[in-house]
Amino acid sequence: MTPLLKAWSLYARWTARYPAVHSIVPFIPLVALWAVVAESNIFPRAFFPGPLEVVRSFGTLVYKGILPDYLEDSIVRLAVGTAAGVALGIPLGVLVGLSPRAHALLWPILLFFQAIGDIAWLPILLIWFGFSLTTMTFVIVYTVLFPVVLNTALGVRSVPLDLHRAALSLGASRTRVIWEVVLPGALPNIMTGLRNGLGYGWRALIAAEIIVGTSGIGFLMFDARRAGSVVEILLGMIVLGVLWYIVDSWVLAPIERATGERWGLVTR
Amino acid sequence: MKRLVLKDLSKTYFDPYAGAHVTAVQEVSLEVKQGEFVSVVGPSGCGKTTLLNMIAGFIPASGGEILLDERAVDGPGPERGVVFQSFALFPWKTVLENVAFGPKIRGLSRTEREKIAREYLDLVGLANVAERYPNELSGGMQQRVGVVRALANNPDVLLMDEPFASVDAQTRMTLQEELTRIWQERRPTIIFITHDVGEAVFLANRVVVLSKGRILKEIEVTLPRPRAWDLLTEDAAFKALSGQVLQLVRSA
Ligand SMILES: Nc1ncnc2c1ncn2[C@@H]1O[C@H](COP(=O)(O)OP(=O)(O)OP(=O)(O)O)[C@@H](O)[C@H]1O
Ligand SMILES: [Mg+2]
Repeated sequence: MTPLLKAWSLYARWTARYPAVHSIVPFIPLVALWAVVAESNIFPRAFFPGPLEVVRSFGTLVYKGILPDYLEDSIVRLAVGTAAGVALGIPLGVLVGLSPRAHALLWPILLFFQAIGDIAWLPILLIWFGFSLTTMTFVIVYTVLFPVVLNTALGVRSVPLDLHRAALSLGASRTRVIWEVVLPGALPNIMTGLRNGLGYGWRALIAAEIIVGTSGIGFLMFDARRAGSVVEILLGMIVLGVLWYIVDSWVLAPIERATGERWGLVTR
Repeated sequence: MKRLVLKDLSKTYFDPYAGAHVTAVQEVSLEVKQGEFVSVVGPSGCGKTTLLNMIAGFIPASGGEILLDERAVDGPGPERGVVFQSFALFPWKTVLENVAFGPKIRGLSRTEREKIAREYLDLVGLANVAERYPNELSGGMQQRVGVVRALANNPDVLLMDEPFASVDAQTRMTLQEELTRIWQERRPTIIFITHDVGEAVFLANRVVVLSKGRILKEIEVTLPRPRAWDLLTEDAAFKALSGQVLQLVRSA
């Protein structure tokens, strides 16, 4: 029993000091299982490589500069698309959330276009814009836009009427109320929209890169398939997962902790 | 000096479910002088909130007029401060920022407005929680912030709609005593809505009894100040007045 207890106390101490350990530990058995299955050679090695081969290919691709380049391309595309989607989506969401007339006019249209999934646009986009950056950006902006608009509108409508009234009675103009009341009040929902938008956008990007791409993580994976390199495909998949984790825990979660959770608008 | 004048003020709602019109306030005329403390009391549904919301400019009147210093009221404005039953503090602003909000809108610099805000927080003993967010405060503390946030903007009239209805009984008494103290020190003009007869009499110079959207009676309250619950609970004059108002409300 004692060695187990010791191991446990060690674990507890480490996780307390380095919270990141918390999120790595659950993967240890998963990777171990993967290694065991790969080493046992149940499947042909070329079809089912082990963790070591993936790490080695990670090293080579980083060394050759391919992985950093592709990663940068993907991230820049996602960042640009998301920024555009958010810049369009928040004002549109505020408009729809505040004005019953705009809501009546735009809501059906929004729902209609939301139903046409991002990828469903690819055939026509390819005819219009070819295998270009425009096509890819369109898909990402499109994907990010809807969750941001719909959630922003929802957030705007969730701001209690009394808060509007309080601000107006303290002398604020309608425009001022938008900045001081509507936007901060809708922020938790806007974050949810952003989180969903980024998630969908990320997936849409990979899909677009697979179909349209000349670079990027999606392209890397598709190219690897052509070359029959399962190792690189696996590497691409792992990179996707790790990257999402980083975006979530380094960007999204801290914003949420500093805003909605701090203000008591969202229960932890 | 007449500060606030209501002339034949009426409000009719359309109830889409019943498909009929509901008259919530009917030809109410009232004059409130500078520095007066008026309570409006009445049973649930008698139109108290509707009346206050019209004065605040939150909803339009169906008939009659509201004059503040001879000027017609149109929409909400900073000369009519409001204290809400729901507190309505901005959750994303600290206590200090909440109280400094009115002065901020008026265009005061950060130093100026924070000085004002701290002064008002001192008035209700909350200087020590200035940097906290409202959700970290008790209900009683939150409503103290709500009161001084309205006061810090120097309104001509302070409108309060059952501001103490959602705090516990002990806190409510403390808040009532604090409000009478603040009123005595600064003499703001206050219209205070409540369904609590004791509260109405305790606070006001004049109690207006509302019934089915009409003013049933106005009663002067000449109880000496400062008022404290310890002294008044057993006070004969207070009991007589409360009894009289209670009877009016119950017959309403
Ligand atoms: N938005 C509305 N639409 C239709 N009818 C309304 C509306 N608001 C209030 N009423 C009706 O007007 C009447 C007066 O309501 P009001 O809220 O002013 O009463 P109150 O005196 O504040 O009651 P309470 O003590 O319960 O707060 C009620 O009959 C109510 O049903
Ligand atoms: Mg009411």
